[in-house]
Amino acid sequence: MKKLNKKFLCTLLSVSMLAVLTACGGKDDTAATNADTSTATNTDTAAPAESAAPAETTAPADTETSAAREGSVAVFYYTYGDTYISSVRAALDSALDAAGIQYQDYDSNNSQTTQSEQVTTAIAQGATVLVVNLVDTGSDDAAKNIITQANGVPVIFFNRSVSEEAVTSSDKCVFVGTDYEMAGHMQGEMIGNYLLENYDTLDLNGDGTISYVMFKGQEGNAEADARTKYGQEDADTILTGAGKPALSFYDSANSNKYLVDQAGAWSSAAATEYMQTIMSQYSEANNNMVELVIANNDEMAIGAVTALQNAGYNKDGSTVIPVFGVDATDAAKDAIAAGSMIGTIKQDADGMANTIADITANFMDGKEAFDGVDSANVVGTWRVNIPYATYTGN
Amino acid sequence: MAEKDKLKKVGDILLNNAMYIIIAIAVVYIAIMRPTFIKLPSIINILSLTAAKLPIALGIGGCIVLTGTDISAGRVVGLTACISASLLTTVFKVFPNMTNAVPLPLVLLLVIGVGALVGFVNGFSVAKFKLHPFIVTLSTQLIVYGIILMYLMRGVNNGQTLSGLDDSYRSFVTGTLFTIGGVAVPKYVLYSLILTIIMWVIWNKTTFGKNMFAVGSNEEAANVSGVNVMRTIIMVFMLAGMMYGITGFLDGARIASANANTGLNYECDAIAACVIGGVSFVGGIGRISGIVVGVLLLQIIFTGLNFLAVDANMLYIIKGLIILIACAIDMRKYLVRK
Repeated sequence: MKKLNKKFLCTLLSVSMLAVLTACGGKDDTAATNADTSTATNTDTAAPAESAAPAETTAPADTETSAAREGSVAVFYYTYGDTYISSVRAALDSALDAAGIQYQDYDSNNSQTTQSEQVTTAIAQGATVLVVNLVDTGSDDAAKNIITQANGVPVIFFNRSVSEEAVTSSDKCVFVGTDYEMAGHMQGEMIGNYLLENYDTLDLNGDGTISYVMFKGQEGNAEADARTKYGQEDADTILTGAGKPALSFYDSANSNKYLVDQAGAWSSAAATEYMQTIMSQYSEANNNMVELVIANNDEMAIGAVTALQNAGYNKDGSTVIPVFGVDATDAAKDAIAAGSMIGTIKQDADGMANTIADITANFMDGKEAFDGVDSANVVGTWRVNIPYATYTGN
Repeated sequence: MAEKDKLKKVGDILLNNAMYIIIAIAVVYIAIMRPTFIKLPSIINILSLTAAKLPIALGIGGCIVLTGTDISAGRVVGLTACISASLLTTVFKVFPNMTNAVPLPLVLLLVIGVGALVGFVNGFSVAKFKLHPFIVTLSTQLIVYGIILMYLMRGVNNGQTLSGLDDSYRSFVTGTLFTIGGVAVPKYVLYSLILTIIMWVIWNKTTFGKNMFAVGSNEEAANVSGVNVMRTIIMVFMLAGMMYGITGFLDGARIASANANTGLNYECDAIAACVIGGVSFVGGIGRISGIVVGVLLLQIIFTGLNFLAVDANMLYIIKGLIILIACAIDMRKYLVRK
């Protein structure tokens, strides 16, 4: 009996291992096959659609004309758990496939230590370009460490901010990101304008001021700090400019003027629970209902919407408390379409992925890094800013 | 002499109940500073948040009684929340070929099954290979997280948050149970209550429950007296897994957006609540009522601190101190008995 058990266990283990291996191997295989077929059928050495709009790189026509390139790209994502980063990953995978570039994705699982070790491994394996979504944005050390290790191998940082000083320390290093303060400014502007248009309906208790709550995603994150600051300040500027009083935080005792996700995960659950607790104290019945919700990202915005809906708000035919987020995730777009959320700021995942793929191809072909990248978005010689856009469903 | 004994006794009682005394003082203080804290809407809010966090704590409690722990709990909640949200939705991104939501009871059974499966792996590894539950559940935590990520990449979802839930699912969980004084009590409070009763019966009225405490206090002795230790351990972990599955099912609708972060660190609060409620890491000691009180107290403190607008950084320190004090008091009782 015991022997049988052991045998059974062994078989089970080996079967599951085999399954995992085949599952994981799948992607590399297809990438390799893609590359092979394009070499075979292709004599044209022109790089794919460099001059055309970035979105076109993913078009199937380009796959046929693209050249398979020597070497491989190592892509490091700060965590697979981030919704927005997941959409960048999906878009970048297909953009690299389309450009006939071999790549390997790494999940740094929100740990700089893990990421730095993965970089070492990738360099040892002979990666020809590193694409890094840095984990630790608090100091330059992590970024500089990676640049030093790369030792001449081109490094493309993206999404999470790296300072100019670090990036310019190597001539084979660039940064593809967003002007991270921009999202906060645009959110604030969108909120200010929306409030002006609908001021009297939104001022539920008719006291002339709009009371608001701000949900912050994480402490010590430059983007969260900027969004928290400008999301409210810029809205205030517009309101006071039009002769209205500035926004007032719903709880005057809170000197921070925000509520932060304790786990630092920018999560919807945190926002739902905060909002539910707020509404147990502040309500229309008490004449002190929160009249505006600003969230650092769409996750938290959706979380607040859920709590509001559970309390009978933000549904068809009921009072809508305006909720604003950032990211334009699919969930937020659906909520905006349904009228339960008002607006968000779109981070262009496809645009970012295509720009990264273009720059990668440029490095591999020995061209100028920003060859073919929309020059309006290029800052100096070190940085590309992917523009944000407001999204209100119109 | 007698006077001294009496004084010592009073001191003991004060010390042993220090946790409750501190919290009672806190409630009085918060209520004075913010009178709305003890008004009906606030009380209902605290009760419903407690109800939402109770099932996972009830599950983990059993593992702690066995001198173990279960740190895979949060991720199992995440996985089951994602499964629920992907099947009971109006936009089928994970399964693009589906057109209609799966019947509610079927999904509930499915997620309970998934939870039980992870629980089985946990329990089997602990019982069969004599591994510490911390290591076993650390492994399954990672495995389950990987599965969540893969699951979310399925179909045309691309790792996006799952939303657009079916209305019947949301109203089944967050719909109004009854209204008192104009404040709605959500349905999941009832489900939590039912689960608490079921767990109370299992812990106190069944052979399995008695075996669990026997194994928890002394595995050798339990084995000698004819308890099937292996089966007991596996069943405790499976039961815990089922509870996480139900938590995931409820949380999917309660938060109405499930993603890879859902359930992250849930086990920390659940374990803390159990310890505060007197479920001892020494093993073989713990009561369902204690767990309920633990979850409730933790929720009171956090909602109260929120009412007082306490700085977020202080919350970590306060949470840490509460757990430390609770454990110290718990250990003190045990040492006295020895």
